[in-house]
Amino acid sequence: MASIDIRSVHKLYGKTPAVRGLDLAVEDGSFLVILGPSGCGKSTLLRMIAGLEDISAGEIAIDGRVVNEVEPGRRGCAMVFQNYALYPHMTVAENIGYALKVAGVPKAERADRVGRVAAMLGLGDLLARKPSQLSGGQRQRVAMGRAMVREPGIFLFDEPLSNLDAKLRIQMRLEIKRLHRELKTTSVFVTHDQVEAMTLADTLVVMNQGVIEQVGTPAEVFRRPKSRFVANFLGSPPMNFLPAEIDRRGRAVLAGGHMPWPDLVFELAAETRIEVGLRPGDLTPVAGKAAEGAIPFEPDILEDLGSELHWHGTVGGSAVAVALPAATPIPAGPVGLKAPPSAVHAFLGDGRRAEPAAAPIPSPKPSGEAPWRATSLSYT
Amino acid sequence: MTDATITGDRALPGRLPRLRLSAAEPWLYLAPAIAVVAIWTYVPLLQAFELSFYQWNMLPRSTPRFVGLDNYRNLLSLPDMRQAVVNTVLYTIGLLPLSVGIPLAVALLTGGLSGPLRNLYRALIFVPMIVAPIVAAILWRWLLNEDHGLVNAWLSGIGLGKVGFLSDPDVALWTLVWITGWKLIGFSTLLFTAADSAISPSYVEAARMDGASPWQIVRDIRLPLLSPTILLITMMTILFGAQWSFVYINALTGGGPLRSTTNVYHVMWEYGFKTMAAGWSTAAGMLVFAVFGLIAIGCLAAMRRFAVYDE
Repeated sequence: MASIDIRSVHKLYGKTPAVRGLDLAVEDGSFLVILGPSGCGKSTLLRMIAGLEDISAGEIAIDGRVVNEVEPGRRGCAMVFQNYALYPHMTVAENIGYALKVAGVPKAERADRVGRVAAMLGLGDLLARKPSQLSGGQRQRVAMGRAMVREPGIFLFDEPLSNLDAKLRIQMRLEIKRLHRELKTTSVFVTHDQVEAMTLADTLVVMNQGVIEQVGTPAEVFRRPKSRFVANFLGSPPMNFLPAEIDRRGRAVLAGGHMPWPDLVFELAAETRIEVGLRPGDLTPVAGKAAEGAIPFEPDILEDLGSELHWHGTVGGSAVAVALPAATPIPAGPVGLKAPPSAVHAFLGDGRRAEPAAAPIPSPKPSGEAPWRATSLSYT
Repeated sequence: MTDATITGDRALPGRLPRLRLSAAEPWLYLAPAIAVVAIWTYVPLLQAFELSFYQWNMLPRSTPRFVGLDNYRNLLSLPDMRQAVVNTVLYTIGLLPLSVGIPLAVALLTGGLSGPLRNLYRALIFVPMIVAPIVAAILWRWLLNEDHGLVNAWLSGIGLGKVGFLSDPDVALWTLVWITGWKLIGFSTLLFTAADSAISPSYVEAARMDGASPWQIVRDIRLPLLSPTILLITMMTILFGAQWSFVYINALTGGGPLRSTTNVYHVMWEYGFKTMAAGWSTAAGMLVFAVFGLIAIGCLAAMRRFAVYDE
C-alpha cells in the first residue's frame, strides 16, 4: 500500500498541453476515481503515475519518494489496461507470472503465487489457456491477476471495464470493489463512465481540459458540484439549466418573471446573469400552471424506463427533464414544476458555483423522509 | 458484360446471350490468371518432367532420345552435382545472418527512432534493394578487384594483405553470399520494421510495468510476436536464397574458381544453356523441385507450429 502525491504536474505533447498544473494527493488505501470526458488528460495523468509517460513539469511522489525518473517497473504500481494487453503468446499462468519471472522469483514459489491469485479470481481452470481462448470477462480477470500477483502498493486502472458488455461491466465493477475491500490496495481508476465513478470511488476527481474541476466524495461532488461542468457531467438525465437574473434583493428571477424561491438570496449584484441548475430528480410536477412557487412546464415526451419515468419538456424555452418514480400519476392539463430551495444550484457566467448568502429556509418536508430522494441518484 | 446483363433477353446482335454468359462468367474472370499460371508454370513443369527422361541437345533438327532414368542416375553420381549441393547449403546458411539476423537486430534497435533520423536510416538501408542486380554485381566487381579495387586498397592501407575476393576459391563463395545478402538487408529490415511497429505498444508497456528490462522485453515480448515474420523470411531465404545468388554467380565468377561458387541453379543453367544437355538440366530441375518442395512443406509446418499470431 502506498500514497501518491502529485504536485503541479504538467504534460505537454509538443506545444499542446494535456495536463495543466495539477495537484492531487491520494491517501494510502483509498480508491480514487478520475472521471472526465475523453481528451481531458485523465489517462495521461494515470500514465504519468505509472511512468509510461514523461512528466513535463512538476513531480509525482509515491510514499514520499519522487519517482519522476524511476522506471515503471520500480514504482510499485501495477496497471490494468483498457485492452488488457495480455501477452498473446503466453498462457494465463505465464501472463500472471511474468512479473515474478522477470523479478527472478523461483519457479515453485511463482507457481504457488500464481495459483493463489488465480484461485482468488476464479481462474484456476484456465491457467493453461492462451488469451485468445478466453472470454472478455476472463481476460479482464487475468489482467487483474497480473496486477495482483506482484502485491503492488498501487493499482492503476485505465478504463478497464469499457470493453465489456453492460452486464459483465456491472459484475466486474462489484468484483473490483470487493477486491479493494479485501486487499485495501491504493487504487487509481480512470473512467469516463459516471456510474463506475460514483460506485467505485472513495474520492472522486472530475477532470476537464487538463485541470481538476472538483475533488470530493462522490456524494459531495454530485450534490454540491463546484462548477457548471461538473454539474452537467454527472447525472443522467443531466442537470437542467435555466437562465436567470438576480434582482435588486439578490433573488433569482427566471425567464418570464418567475421567482420560485423568494427566500433564496444570493450576494450578487443586481442584473447578474446566472444559470439555475436543477437535477431532474429534484423536480416535482404539480397540477396547474399558476400553482404557487411552481415553474410553468410545457411537457413533450414521456419515457418509461421501467424503474422510473423521464418526462421531457421545456421551461421558458429551455429543455428540461424530470425524473419521477415509476407509477407516478402524470397530471393532465397544465403543469408546473416545483423544487425545494435546497435543491437549487446556481452557476455564474464563467461556470463557477454561486452559493446563496444564508442557509436556505428548509422546504416543508414531512419528517422521516430522507433529505435526498433516492430517485435523484439516477444515472441510466 | 455489364451491358449484356442489363439488357438481358433483348441482347444486342453480336453479344453473348445472357444465360450462357452468366454461366461462363466466373471462368472468364479466372481465365487470365489460370492461363498465366498454366502457360508459365504448370505446362513447362510437365514438359520438363517429360524431358528429364530424354537425351536432347536442344537443336531443333535433333530428336530427343528416351533414356529412362539415366539422366538421374548420372547426375546423382556426378561430383559436380555434389559440390553444387554442398555450395547451395553454404549459400543458404551464409545468407541467413544477412537476411534475418542483421535486419532483425537493426529493426529492433531502431524501433524507437523517430523524425528525420529514421527516414535517413531507412533510405540508407533501402538503397541496395533498388539497385539493379547486374549493376550491383558490376559495382562490387570494381570494388573488390584484386589489383585496383577500393576494398583491397583499404586493406593494404591498414596493413592487411590483398584478398582475392572473387579469385580465391576459399573466399569467392562468401563474397557472393555477402553481395546477395547486402541486396536483401534493406528488404528484410523493412519487413521486420513493419512487423515490429505493428506490435501493440500496450504489450511493451505492460511488460515495462511488470518490471522487464529492455532486453527482457525483446526476448519475451517482441521476438515472439515477430516470429511469423522471422519464420517467413527464414523460409524465403532457405527456399530462394540460392536462386537469388544466381545473378552474381553468373556475372562475377561463372561458378568458379574451381567450381567453388556454383550451386544447383547455376549447374542446372550450365547443363541446359552451356552444354546444351536438356535432359540433364531438366532432371536436375526435377530433383531441385522435389527437394525444395519437401523443404517448403517442412517450413510451412514449422510456421504453423512456432509462429505466434496476435489476434
